[in-house]
Amino acid sequence: MNLTLFRRTLAAYRVRLLAVGTGMFAWGFVLPIIYATFGQDLKELVEGNPLLSQFARFGGGDVFSLHGAIALGFIHPFTLVLMGIFAVGFSTVAVAGERQRGTLEVILARPISRHAVYLTLLLAGALFLALLLAVHLVASVTSASLMGVLDELELANLPALWLVGWLLFMCFLAIGLAASVSFDRLAPALGITLTIVLASYLLEVVGSLWPDAAWLQDYSLFHHMAAAEVLDGQMMAGDIALFGTVIAAAVASAWIIFPRRDLAAPS
Amino acid sequence: MVPTPMSAIVTRGLSKTYGARERVLGGRGEAATRVRALTDLSIEVRQGEIFGFLGPNGAGKSTCIRILLGYLHPTGGSATVLGRPVIGDAAEVRRRVGYLPSGISFYDTMTGEGLLDYLARLYGRGSPRREALLDRLELSAATLRRPVRDYSRGMRQKIGIIQALQHDPELAVLDEPSEGLDPLMQHAFYDILDELRRDGRTIFFSSHVLSEVERVCDRVAIIRAGRLVALSDVEELLRRRRRRVEMRVEGPPPSLERVPGVSGVESREGILTCQLEGDVGPFLAAIAGVRVFDLTIEPARLEEAFLEFYTDDPPGAPS
Repeated sequence: MNLTLFRRTLAAYRVRLLAVGTGMFAWGFVLPIIYATFGQDLKELVEGNPLLSQFARFGGGDVFSLHGAIALGFIHPFTLVLMGIFAVGFSTVAVAGERQRGTLEVILARPISRHAVYLTLLLAGALFLALLLAVHLVASVTSASLMGVLDELELANLPALWLVGWLLFMCFLAIGLAASVSFDRLAPALGITLTIVLASYLLEVVGSLWPDAAWLQDYSLFHHMAAAEVLDGQMMAGDIALFGTVIAAAVASAWIIFPRRDLAAPS
Repeated sequence: MVPTPMSAIVTRGLSKTYGARERVLGGRGEAATRVRALTDLSIEVRQGEIFGFLGPNGAGKSTCIRILLGYLHPTGGSATVLGRPVIGDAAEVRRRVGYLPSGISFYDTMTGEGLLDYLARLYGRGSPRREALLDRLELSAATLRRPVRDYSRGMRQKIGIIQALQHDPELAVLDEPSEGLDPLMQHAFYDILDELRRDGRTIFFSSHVLSEVERVCDRVAIIRAGRLVALSDVEELLRRRRRRVEMRVEGPPPSLERVPGVSGVESREGILTCQLEGDVGPFLAAIAGVRVFDLTIEPARLEEAFLEFYTDDPPGAPS
């Protein structure tokens, strides 16, 4: 790892981090308010209507309980878009984007190994994701406290929720970086990573909304986050192992590919 | 080639082939498409010299430079830079080298000063030459406080030169360094190179501007289609060049056919033209008794030597 490159990466992304962090805070803050204000009314509205009920429990999250509302905050498309800015955007631009612009050339002219560049970018991305999810959870706890429903939340389970959320998005970050070190241009790296993320999300959405296709969810990384269950104290070792395996495979692939790649002059 | 203790760069049989298998459109199967970017290149760059590396676009200059700096992996041969192998020790090699890529790109939102500071920190050492370079290239403190996106092409090139040299590297690899510099700044840059040479630094210099190579380089290598076609002192290369001679004489023209170094003699209406190669003494002796009104010996130019290597069939081409 290279500390100078790490600091520069943090500095280069500070405005985006602040903007996305604000979005994640607002989103985390609003969900407990929705639950505390409209949760009961919405529950009564959808009960008895199987179709509405199915839609209201998308991805294991809902607004009928505080745990459900916080879980929804982890699986909602809005979260995916915000976290995707770093899990997908940062990771794919980090190497392929810099390479396309010609700026990687200048960095690699310095006495820094490609492994050090990769590790630095991986750690910076990991820190960004960790901070964003932490901000999101802090906002939810603050909001729940202000709404007077904090006693419904098992605070001891929040670190586990933060961990599984971080591991999920770390999977995409590691995949994005692996794609990024494998291509000279941004488009294929971004395309491959986005396809994996969206396919995974689609499997979760379809499986969640259509009971006959529930088996598809097993093939979605989002399904293995199981935020509501984690908040209920049921963290699955198998899910953690799956995330760990995906991250390890992506990191290993990048670790092997990047130093062996020929970096021709940027066009 | 036996490297001397004073070798800054040594390549032995360095080769690079870009290979890919591709499906033949409309065909039945696959065909291998292989591009030989560099073939069996053996050169030695001595410490303390300015070494010109010449060749047209696509000749393999950048491929060679990128192998030396660890961006590309050779498919054959070996290379050492400052005594260290470029494979496996590339980061240590780069610690002692300054590199200016052709058409360098920067982070546009950073200021010139911030960028130079950042790039110097990545070396993990100070920038002892920065102030002198800024002074020579006339980059003021006010200019450095502006973001790089506001810089002209010439100013970017100046920043590129400074980032490559500010940490006082033992070897500077400069790819088209004077690109975008105005004539005044080009001369300032040549002065910088002279100064570096006086301080014992080595410059590996790739350029299309042959007059500049002639002006600053001690030795040159000319490559063509990835192969070395000439490696020589600039002076030696020029000495061997044929120069065009034209003279106006009174009376019968002198017989020059048998004079050593003279060829292509033509005489018409009192004007005699010929080609002169090497020592001018025998030629002057041969015309000693002739009444010469006018005599022009065009100086040898590197450009002509360069073009000579490129007018023949490419190496390895079918005859």
